[in-house]
Amino acid sequence: MDDLKLLRDFGARLEHEPPATLVRQRERLLRGRPARRWWATWWTAGLVAVATAVAVVVPTMLLAGGRPVAVPPAGARNVDVGGAMNILLVGSDSVEGENVAYGPQRARQPDGGGRRADSIIILHVPEDRGAVTAVSVPRDSIVRIQACAGDPARVDMINSTYDQDGGLTCLRQTLQKLTGLTFKHTIEVDFTGFKGVVDALGGVQLTLSRPVDDRRAKLKLPAGKVTLDGEAALGWMRSRAQGDGSDIARIKRQAQLLRAMAKKAQSSALDQNRLKALLSEVRESVRTDLGLEEMAGLAAQLTEARISTTVVPWQPARTDRNRVEWRQPQARELFESLK
Amino acid sequence: MILQPATRGADAELVNASWTEPEAFAELFDRYAGMLYRYVSKRLGPEPAEDLVGETFLVAFSRRRSYDLAYPDARPWLFGILTKLISRHHRSEAARYRALLRAPVEHTIESPADRVAAGVSAQAVRGELAGALASLSAKDRDVLLLIAWGDLTYVEVAQALGIPVGTVRSRLNRGRRKVRAALGDTNPMAEEE
Repeated sequence: MDDLKLLRDFGARLEHEPPATLVRQRERLLRGRPARRWWATWWTAGLVAVATAVAVVVPTMLLAGGRPVAVPPAGARNVDVGGAMNILLVGSDSVEGENVAYGPQRARQPDGGGRRADSIIILHVPEDRGAVTAVSVPRDSIVRIQACAGDPARVDMINSTYDQDGGLTCLRQTLQKLTGLTFKHTIEVDFTGFKGVVDALGGVQLTLSRPVDDRRAKLKLPAGKVTLDGEAALGWMRSRAQGDGSDIARIKRQAQLLRAMAKKAQSSALDQNRLKALLSEVRESVRTDLGLEEMAGLAAQLTEARISTTVVPWQPARTDRNRVEWRQPQARELFESLK
Repeated sequence: MILQPATRGADAELVNASWTEPEAFAELFDRYAGMLYRYVSKRLGPEPAEDLVGETFLVAFSRRRSYDLAYPDARPWLFGILTKLISRHHRSEAARYRALLRAPVEHTIESPADRVAAGVSAQAVRGELAGALASLSAKDRDVLLLIAWGDLTYVEVAQALGIPVGTVRSRLNRGRRKVRAALGDTNPMAEEE
């Protein structure tokens, strides 16, 4: 019997008839704003990839090789990672040199200065740890912002709270006020700092689907498996010559880089010196109020959990069609379900 | 489900009309949404199919100005977009085939080759077929399934994926060879083209 014929018959058995609800997709098309919706879907996927990678990568790197470095042995301290909780996760990409401009004192502050909140995610971890929900907050959400750290009350994009003096504190406060949720912990990841982490790891291996030649980023790489040092990895992640040059493409590359790092951290047996260097670099690029043990405990729980992802329900903002505003009452209902 | 209103002719005319009159694009949806849905449902199952069909049309709509109006038939274009979207699900696709591979097969006859020789139904060899599909590279699988399940011609597949026809042939041959090998056919004379 003809193999193609067999395949066709096999396909016919797997086939489903279009349901009546397919008409919803037609309406989706007619309602318009296709580019935005398309964009939003990608964005969520990218954000969650980053979120999970961070939750898993960081402890993996810290505990690489199962060596308890500067970490008390498990069980030595009673760690509270139980109960339902919400965690605020912010990924930022600081512009190099800006920290210097703010002066060393500012740079040492926990909130740092001059970063952009690229990704804002509310990670909801239910008590049974069965299904984690990652809610991404569009960074261009127009919201009511309270006065905070010297900045006046205003209606503005949510990530403006982070960019300004208050940093994470103001973003956290604003989001708590808006959502009615309490964030038990915060995790901040600065992708710029990952340059040092990559070097401490001795480079990472990436598989590129096509060669890269970006003169502006001074980056020239062949297609296929390449090993990148920190500088090259960061350049590759940031390069606008990659993909369609969009934000989504960039977020995807961030996730890819994180995965490559996790792989390297797991695979390479690190000597003491390298591990020390790695730890200090990680401390530079990840800021969190979670202890090392808590992070490791949480990551272990999260790797088992099913992670569902969603975006705060939104619509084009009435004041500026290029921004978004939260759609009510859907957004309120979503937050209510996370309490 | 698929309506073919006589008011307008080729797909290209609809795409062209949608430049100034976006509603015209909905007619393209009416023509092909059902077809695309059936195709995705075979590869990924019914759950993601609805959304993927919707996304395909949204992407197509946003790129309607770059559509080459010299091609009257929009199917290769739509299948090309859909294939890209499906590629994001390649893990779940392979997992789906592997699950079918594990599903119990009702009859146990001598060897897969005998079954083929005896002209037994695809149902009897679905484990072998599913295993072969799971083992194919994503590129080979795209080509094989666009032809077997999407009913596109070689030229249309080349258009859809933006690759030369010769590449379509070589990927198809490689895919079919693996399928035949899974079915237990090792006869080199069975090579086609």
